[in-house]
Order: sequence, then C-alpha cells, then structure tokens
Amino acid sequence: MATSRQCRGVATLHNTLHLNRLVDMNFSVITTQFWSLVLQGLALGLIYALVSLGYTMVYGVLRLINFANSEVFMIGTFATLYLEIHVLGYATNAKSLHGATLIWTLFVVFIGAMIACAIVAMLVELVAYRRLRARGANRLASLISAIGVSIALLEGMRIITISRPMTTPRLLDKWSFGQFHGANFRIDTMMAIVVPIIIFVALDRFVTKSRLGKSIRAVSMSEENSKLMGININRVITLTFCIGGLTTGAAAFIYTTVYENTVFNVGFNMGIAAFTAAVLGGIGNLRGAFYGGIALGMLEQFASAMLGSQWKAVTVFTVLVVVLLFKPNGLFGEAVQQTRT
Amino acid sequence: MNKKIVSGLAFAAAATLALGVVATSPASAAGKTEVTLAFQGPLTGGDAQLGQDQIPGAIYAIALYNAKNPKVKVNLIKADSQCDGTVAANIAPGVAANKAVIGVIGTSCSGEARNSFPAYKAAGLTMIAPSASAVSLTNPKAPDRGFPIFHRVVAHDGFQAPALARYAAKGVTAPKFYVIDDMTTYGGPLAKGTLPTAKKLGTVVGTDSVPKGTADYTSVASKVKASGANVVIYGGYTTDAAKLFKALRDGGYTGILASGDGTNTSDFPGLAGKAAEGVRLTAADVPFDSILTKAQLADFTKITGVKVPGLYSTTAYNATNIFLDCISKGSLTRSAIQLCVTNGSWIGAGGETIKFDRYGDIIGGAPVGGYLVKNGVIVYDSVA
Repeated sequence: MATSRQCRGVATLHNTLHLNRLVDMNFSVITTQFWSLVLQGLALGLIYALVSLGYTMVYGVLRLINFANSEVFMIGTFATLYLEIHVLGYATNAKSLHGATLIWTLFVVFIGAMIACAIVAMLVELVAYRRLRARGANRLASLISAIGVSIALLEGMRIITISRPMTTPRLLDKWSFGQFHGANFRIDTMMAIVVPIIIFVALDRFVTKSRLGKSIRAVSMSEENSKLMGININRVITLTFCIGGLTTGAAAFIYTTVYENTVFNVGFNMGIAAFTAAVLGGIGNLRGAFYGGIALGMLEQFASAMLGSQWKAVTVFTVLVVVLLFKPNGLFGEAVQQTRT
Repeated sequence: MNKKIVSGLAFAAAATLALGVVATSPASAAGKTEVTLAFQGPLTGGDAQLGQDQIPGAIYAIALYNAKNPKVKVNLIKADSQCDGTVAANIAPGVAANKAVIGVIGTSCSGEARNSFPAYKAAGLTMIAPSASAVSLTNPKAPDRGFPIFHRVVAHDGFQAPALARYAAKGVTAPKFYVIDDMTTYGGPLAKGTLPTAKKLGTVVGTDSVPKGTADYTSVASKVKASGANVVIYGGYTTDAAKLFKALRDGGYTGILASGDGTNTSDFPGLAGKAAEGVRLTAADVPFDSILTKAQLADFTKITGVKVPGLYSTTAYNATNIFLDCISKGSLTRSAIQLCVTNGSWIGAGGETIKFDRYGDIIGGAPVGGYLVKNGVIVYDSVA
C-alpha cells in the first residue's frame, strides 16, 4: 500500500508534467460511444486493410516493401476525381445521384480507379524492381528505387496540382439506414465496410483456389523451385503487383467517396497507416493485413475518443511496438516462405 | 618604375576600389532608381488562398504608386511559404540575401513568421504582416517574438479570440462550446484564447486537438455529438476546417460552426460544400471592396485580374503603402525603412490610424469583423 509520502510524490510529478492538461482522459466513451466508434473504426480500418494488402502481397513474393504503394493510392484518389469531374462531367457542387445512375456511375469510377492503380503498380514493378532483380542487385537498391519512384510521383503531382487540395462532388448522398445505440449506419460507412470484405473474400479464394493464386503462393515459398516447375516468375510478380494495385485502387475510390477530398501527399499518411497495419498483422500474411487494418482503425478511433485526437498516433505506435516486442512477426506471424491466407 | 607612375597607379587603384565599394554597397541609397519589396505568404499548397487573397492588395498599391512616376520605382517579388514554417525557414535566407529587397510584406501565417525571424533579424529586414496574428510574435516575453523587425497591421489573436467566442455564441441561448484546434502556432493559441470568454458566456463541454493535415475527423464528430455541444469553435486553417465541418454535419451535428481568419478564405465554401452554409468566421479586416469606389474596384480588377478582393487584401494594401510612403520619403535602405516604419504614423484604407508600438502591434488595437457564409459566399456581417 502506497504511503502518503509516495502519493504526494506521484501528485507532484503529475502536476510537474502537467499531465492533467496534456491528456483529456474520457473513459466514459466506452459506454456512451462504443458502437459508434466500432463502426467508424471498422470503416477506417478496412480502408487501411485494402492498402496494406498491396504491401503484404508484394512482400510475400519479393521479400521487399513496396514503398511506392502509398503513391499508387494517391494516384487512385486523383483517378477517382478525374473520372467524376472531367470524364463524367460532374461539377464539384453537382447534386447527388440516385437509383441506376448512381450505381452505374459509382461502378464505372470504382473500376476506373482500380485499373489506374493496377497500371501504375505494374509500371512501378517494371521500373523500380524488375531490372534490378534481373541484374542481381541487392535488396537495398530495389528499396531505394521504390522510394525514388514514390518521391517522383508525389512531387510530380505536387507540381501538377500546385499543392492545392481538391474536392470531389458528393455523388453519393450520405443518408442513414438507421441508428443502433448511437452508431449511425450511413450508406458511405456501410460501403466502406462491405466492399473491402467482399474484395478480401474474393482475393482469399483466388489465392487459395485458383491456378494463378497457387503460382503466387509457390513463388512466395520458393522462387527457385517455382522456376523449376515452369512457373514464369516475372509474370507472377507482375500479377502480384497488379492485384496489390487493384486493392489499393479500391481503397482510393472508397476513401475519396467517403472524405470527398484529396491532395498530392494524401498517400503519405495512408502509406504509414497501411504499412503499420501490415506489420501489426504479420507482413506477408493476407489475413494478417486484413485484421491488422481493422485493429489499427479501431485503435485510432478509441484512442482519439478516450485520450484526445493528439494522442492517436502515439497510442497506435506504442501498441505496435509492444505487440512486436512479444510477437516480432506480428499478430498472425510472418508468411515464412509463403503468402499465407 | 618611375615614382610618379607608381603613385598614379596607386591613386587610380584606390579610387577604383572606393567607387566600386560605393557602387556595390547594399547599404547605399545613392543613385537608386529601383527598390524591391518581397511578399511572403502561401501562394501554393493547402492554404494558398490566404496568400492569393492578400497579394492583389500589395500589387494594386505598388501599381498605383509606380503610375505616379516616382523617382524610385518599386518592384515586387514573391516568396511562397505554403504557410509552412519549414518551407519559410528555407526561403527566408534567400530573400534576406537578396540585397535589392528592403522590406517584406508578410508573413501571412504565424508559424512561418516565427521561422523567418532568424534570417530577417540578422539581415535587418523589416516585416509588416497583413495577417500573422499569434500573440507570441509581439509578446516581449516570448522567445519567438519578432522584435525589432516584425510589425503587423492586423489585430492579434488576443483580440480575435474573445471576439470569435462572442460572435460564435451570438443569438444562442445557453451556449455549450466545443473548442477544437489544429495544434499549430496559430490555431492552438487562438482556440485556447476563446475559452475564458466561452466560460463566461456559457459552458465548455469539451476540447480537442487534432493535428493539421488529419484526414479522418469521424471520431471528433462523434465526441462533439455525444457532448451535446451547440457551438463548435475551430482554431485552424481552411482545408482542415472544411474536412472537420463536413464530418460534423455528416455526423448529425446541427449547431453553430465557427472559426477564425485562418478559415476565412474565399475557397472555404467550395471546399466545405453544404457544410459551409451558416458558418461564422472572424477576421481583423474590413472588406476591401467595401472601401473602394466602383471606379477603384474596376481599376483594381484591371490591374490584378481579381474581380472580388479576398480577405486581408486591405491589410496587405495597408502594409504595402506603409513601405511605399517610407520609400517616397527617401528611405531606400533596410535600416532607413526600419527607422521609418518604427516611428511613423499613417491612416489605413479603412480610416484607422496605424502607429506601431515598440514590439510591432498597432497602438490601440483594431476591430474584429464577423463574417457569415451565405449561399456559398463569405459576406461581412458586423463587428464581432
């Protein structure tokens, strides 16, 4: 039992560090806002999960982090904006769409964003990775090359947009299905939850059941043996980048539809979050990336609500460090020699 | 060698050296037919509209001055800081090293002002800011104060913050305030500065600090909704205010939304969409188009290409005219400009007297205006 002297010491330390002013603790949110935070955490976390799939799949086959994936996401958000405003001709203050027009428009933009990201991702593989692999360059060279591509894309978009943020039209009106204990089931929130789940399930089935999926798993287990079995390694790696680009493009579309804005450096924070999710879940592990993204989204929402938004990043990365201390390969473990599902 | 030739050569060399020193000396005003002022503020980036709204005021003032065919013409160069302290720290030395520049119209933002001080203080380059309003910049006890080179023609946040709280709560019975800031040199102190007045007018039901550049504000929106607040005050800049206000409205918040001059830029309604409607904003500025006659406004549009002057065009115009007045009186070096600005007195475009105190603020302060977003346009409402 603490002595009164010890209690006075703690109180003095607390006041000296101004902890009462720095942290606005509010644990009552666990009861008052629980379902709202769960819903929002899920929506945000699944966007992270889609982007982290790009990181984790590439790591599975190449044992390299594709640092350019954050800029692939950025390109996807601008592709979404470009399609909506310049191709389909909707002004930023256009009225929301309804019915078949809404579904068709969103579908076209969704597919367009995914294709744009897939193309950029495959170009990144061609430029930053393939030639270096063919020449037997060490891993550091490939890493630096990817970072270089990332910076080139980011700075290029900075010049094109003169660093100005851009708004997309509200084509999807944010109407609510209803509420459950304070949690507001809005259409855009539900889209941000349902679509990634469908994509993940489809990807999971693809990797486990399809011939191409098995090729990816084979290459991630052993590149040498895959070559001996007649698998075209370059084609498999390109396919992996393509799939990562498609999922990242889907995330970009959902992000732009939910938040209705983008800027040249939007990929930076998203990239950090998605990479963190991939590591938290277990880099190279598809299911790990999925659950890692959800965990990260939840952590951010609850930390923000309970401690204050300024503590969000501190909390998330502290938890990451603690998890890695006890589970160095992430919550679900690294994919050792295979892209695990 | 002949002694006469040697001494002749020595004299010629000395004369050449002396003339050369005079000709290239940066401190010399002799023979100057042109001087340069620098405008420093965000011209690109997320907060670009702030600088884009201000610089026409400076361009207009200089164009009117040069049209009078003065002995010394004035040029304007632009230093784009993106309202970012890190960028400002990199560009300010370049501006300071440009010997042609004798004064800085700027900075627009408080964080960039602070980071520019080392370069400008070392170079003795006088600053007159149209909108950098953080109290610490002129606080004699603050380590980041701009004394002796920093001046501003705008009321600091010590005036704006209470006015913002009053204006936000105007007409609200039993206001419950939720105060949010963006953790910047400007937004943090502005938001916190509203708290004393907010506590007098009603109750403060919550506060939050969300880093500038945050993408997702849904957790903040949930907290605000759960708190029962009916007045939200945000200390920060346009881009983040737009995201926050959108998230609040989409999250079901129906109360008052208010913010300061960092949000009071002409691109805010476009970025925030429907969420901008009814937002209450403050600024220590009088709309330039309310001061100009129709003919002057047409002239302004012809010179600058801007049809409707944005916020702080007036203060930028005032800041530039102070420099121009000093130049017309023969202050053509940095030290002469500093002396003139520190000791002079002027009448601003709105009829107010501008005389700086020792630390760079206008003696007697300046009124803070309240602005409303109506039908997608920011309009002046009343004194806040």
